[in-house]
Amino acid sequence: MTMGLWGVSLIAILFSLYKKPLETKSALGMASKMIKNMLLQIVGILFLIGFMLSMLPPELIKGVLGSSNQLFSTVAGALLGSITIIPAFVAFPLVASFLKLGASVLPAIAFLTTLTMVGIATFPIEKEAFGLKFTLVRNGLSFVFAIIIAFSMGVILR
Amino acid sequence: MKKFRLLIFVAILYVGLLVFFPAKGQESLFNTWYYIKEMLEIMPVILVLTALIEVWVPKPFIEQHLGETSGLKGNVMSIILGSISAGPIYAAFPISLSLIKKGISIENIVIIISAWAVVKIPMLANEAKFLGLKFMSIRWVCTVIAIVIMGRIAKRFVSKNDVLEHIKSQEHEHLVSEKIQINEKTCVKCMLCVKAMPELFEYNGKMLITPLLEEIDTKLIDADFVQRLRDTVNRCPIKAIEMQLNLE
Repeated sequence: MTMGLWGVSLIAILFSLYKKPLETKSALGMASKMIKNMLLQIVGILFLIGFMLSMLPPELIKGVLGSSNQLFSTVAGALLGSITIIPAFVAFPLVASFLKLGASVLPAIAFLTTLTMVGIATFPIEKEAFGLKFTLVRNGLSFVFAIIIAFSMGVILR
Repeated sequence: MKKFRLLIFVAILYVGLLVFFPAKGQESLFNTWYYIKEMLEIMPVILVLTALIEVWVPKPFIEQHLGETSGLKGNVMSIILGSISAGPIYAAFPISLSLIKKGISIENIVIIISAWAVVKIPMLANEAKFLGLKFMSIRWVCTVIAIVIMGRIAKRFVSKNDVLEHIKSQEHEHLVSEKIQINEKTCVKCMLCVKAMPELFEYNGKMLITPLLEEIDTKLIDADFVQRLRDTVNRCPIKAIEMQLNLE
């Protein structure tokens, strides 16, 4: 998948450099400047995430998702998903194992949805790119809708 | 300096961690390496894509298909654009920024970023494998509907101008190309500047300032370079080169 992307973009940029050399060069310069500015912050944040992940054992996630109060554990699941960034292909088997152990489905869905859509960790990068207002609105809406999605799925799956 | 604050903090944190809790420190580094690898894999592609959008996608095209009046069709296109993408959510930001400059609506930007984060085709297969096809499809349908509604609500709270103004202020902070400009209306294309400083000025049907400008911050420490630049600006017969340098 990634190899394919590299191949396609390499061919495309070579073609572009051949057809419109000056515009392409200046656009590349502009884009690399923009990304360079983001990169410093991204690297710092990735190290923080790596640290948080080692401090956050799966047992804690299980404890939160398995709480008996449905509303509480759904909101807590959404919160937990917002502050953590776990690769989705790790999250799916993890959630599947909790469900098999009898954890409730609502918090699991809220957790899965905010996991990718809400980013407390990436908040500073998003804020720098689009401004505080946009970032607050987008993440806030994502959080609320993660809970709505969880409850509607709870109704449908019943 | 502000840019490095986070990195310095993280460095101190890791040194402390590795000294006092070496096992935790190693685990953290191991986790981080996964994310760094993911970033290194995707960011060059994002760089190229951002530049390609800049050069090849005309503004009217984006305005028409993803702009304010593009309606549900624009929403669907944004969902598709977001879903075929790869990589973590921050990879969506540079591309979104260049799309905003090309005239995409706030609604569709929210949709692209959200779809980029949640709806990924390889991930759907993975989810179906572990949680079942039924679970995956229902979650997918719910999520897509939610994302479109979210976009429509977001545009009521955030205006395009809020974001555009923020981008502008950021650019003034970052882009030095604001410092030297050629007034295209008055420029008579006499080529004096191109001859004097070919490394900075180019002619290609219109006058251009070359990408060398990316390094201008370091160049401006060079007194010789600054002197030549001043001379060139002064020699321009109609003073079409505008410089905003605060040099002592």
